[in-house]
Amino acid sequence: MDSKSGFNRRDFLLASAGTGLMAMVPPGVRSGAWAAGSDAPEKKEVRIGFIPLTDCSSVVMAAVQKFDEKYGIKIIPTKEASWASVRDKLVNGELDAAHVLYGLVYGVQLGIGGPKKDMNILMTLNQNGQAITLSNQLKDKGATDGTKLAALIAKKEREYTFAQTFPTGTHAMWLYYWLAAHGINPMKDTKIITVPPPQMVANMRVGNMDGYCVGEPWGNRAIVDNIGFTAVTTQDIWVDHPEKVLGTTADWVAKNPNTARAMTAAIIDAGKWIDASLGNKQKTAETVANKAYVNTDADVIVARMLGRYSNGLGKTWDDKNAMKFFSDGNASFPYLSDAMWFMTQHKRWGLLKDDPDYLAVAKKVNRIDIYKQAATAAGVAVPKSDMRSHKLIDGTVWDGKDPKKYAASFKVHA
Amino acid sequence: MLRVLVIDELEARAGEICAGLALAGHQVAALLPTAADLTRRVEEIGPDVILIQTDAPSRDTLEHLAVINAAAPRPVVMFAKNRDGRVMRKAFKAGVSAYVVDGLTPGRLAPVIDVAIARFEEHQELRRERDVATQALAERKTIDRAKGVLMKARGMDEQAAYAALRKLAMDRGQTLGRAAADVVEMAKVLL
Repeated sequence: MDSKSGFNRRDFLLASAGTGLMAMVPPGVRSGAWAAGSDAPEKKEVRIGFIPLTDCSSVVMAAVQKFDEKYGIKIIPTKEASWASVRDKLVNGELDAAHVLYGLVYGVQLGIGGPKKDMNILMTLNQNGQAITLSNQLKDKGATDGTKLAALIAKKEREYTFAQTFPTGTHAMWLYYWLAAHGINPMKDTKIITVPPPQMVANMRVGNMDGYCVGEPWGNRAIVDNIGFTAVTTQDIWVDHPEKVLGTTADWVAKNPNTARAMTAAIIDAGKWIDASLGNKQKTAETVANKAYVNTDADVIVARMLGRYSNGLGKTWDDKNAMKFFSDGNASFPYLSDAMWFMTQHKRWGLLKDDPDYLAVAKKVNRIDIYKQAATAAGVAVPKSDMRSHKLIDGTVWDGKDPKKYAASFKVHA
Repeated sequence: MLRVLVIDELEARAGEICAGLALAGHQVAALLPTAADLTRRVEEIGPDVILIQTDAPSRDTLEHLAVINAAAPRPVVMFAKNRDGRVMRKAFKAGVSAYVVDGLTPGRLAPVIDVAIARFEEHQELRRERDVATQALAERKTIDRAKGVLMKARGMDEQAAYAALRKLAMDRGQTLGRAAADVVEMAKVLL
């Protein structure tokens, strides 16, 4: 056992004894179970859906670099066209798991707008690396940052349209949070539309929207194509914010606990490998730039992956909070406070009518038990607490302690 | 009667679906080939139901309309690429792909979905038949050319040329079309 992990075998057995299937196994058998490495994956081939975005990298590289083989499985990354399609294919079992928006999983769990189904999150796939892009037309009007944008919108010369990628998803929440932090009510002062990530740039080019929030490389693409600029990166809204997760259904995990652990371990390994060196990031960018994955120029991907940002207004900087896949096991851990944050924002923007039992739902969906087994198998450290604390762009602190109060605390809301 | 909006980039297939919906007594409010400016178009058209392909990227746009406005039409997912009707029907039964707008019972929606699936299957069948026919036609042309080669090079009559081709195919365990294609290829090099 890796002593640096701060997590020994005895702790694991105590932690897992009360949860899930392990609880039903007699103690004598239990101690010899997965820890001995004798438990074969129930399903050897796993189809993992992804949307063409830089942050699908760890899923893709887990397969390309064969981290999956190490755990006795084969990951088949499957390119999907829309988040709605990812959701449906998870729910009806066409996909085993998916690279999916954090908030979307909770939208399905709580039945917002579509089918309701018990879901599981096995790990966080990445932190940071998304951005809000504003059009060059807004730049010409002087709206080069949030404050100036708010002043322009307040003049009410016309309607302003902003795009995100899915109503319950992360990009919607970053966009709304940032607008609201500048006193703009996204629900009342702007028009919000949903556009699939790979179509953002084309839609802005023909003037369908004034701004959008999406994952890289589609922020940088707008700058390279000279149609817009980066008004804010999402890491500047919330340093080390959670983003995509490895999502699946609770049924699937109940049926395939060993495969779930193997898959999670392989992707933890892949994330660790990507974060390990500039060379690995370069190779990752070249791989995912391929037509089969993101289908854009490797240069457009690699710049922001390495943290070399330019905002399209002449400012360049090295961003130490660029997209993180591993971050010593902090980026991949499925914190309960992260999960609850999305539910508080769903409530804030009227997607949820009533407060859910935030902590109970988060504990049910985020399978910290499986993550810990996978982290142990991969030999990586696990954070000491299931919660973390951060100050966001508007100065408020989110520590996961009182979600109901936090959800109701925002001046700007639906 | 339901006002149905059909979104499909494949015009032939969409046309058949529209025809089927009309026959079943539904009104096709519009047929959109692409999803450009979809939000505005849906607001203008105001359909009860939207039929769209499972793998269409614009499903997220429709999803948004459905979440934001409880009275907005819910997309009904029609069919997936390379997927047969049975699978889709199972998915519909599981309630996965059809989201029902307030006041619209699943019972009323079912005939729309049935029509869509039936038309989709018909379209698939037609395409299969067309593919088979096209291939048979191409094969016959190749066989004719191969016979021509043999008749010219070996001074055979048509029947003898055909018999020679058939023997060649049988000896090599190939289809007649394949053997004929080889003869034609060979002729290009040798003659």
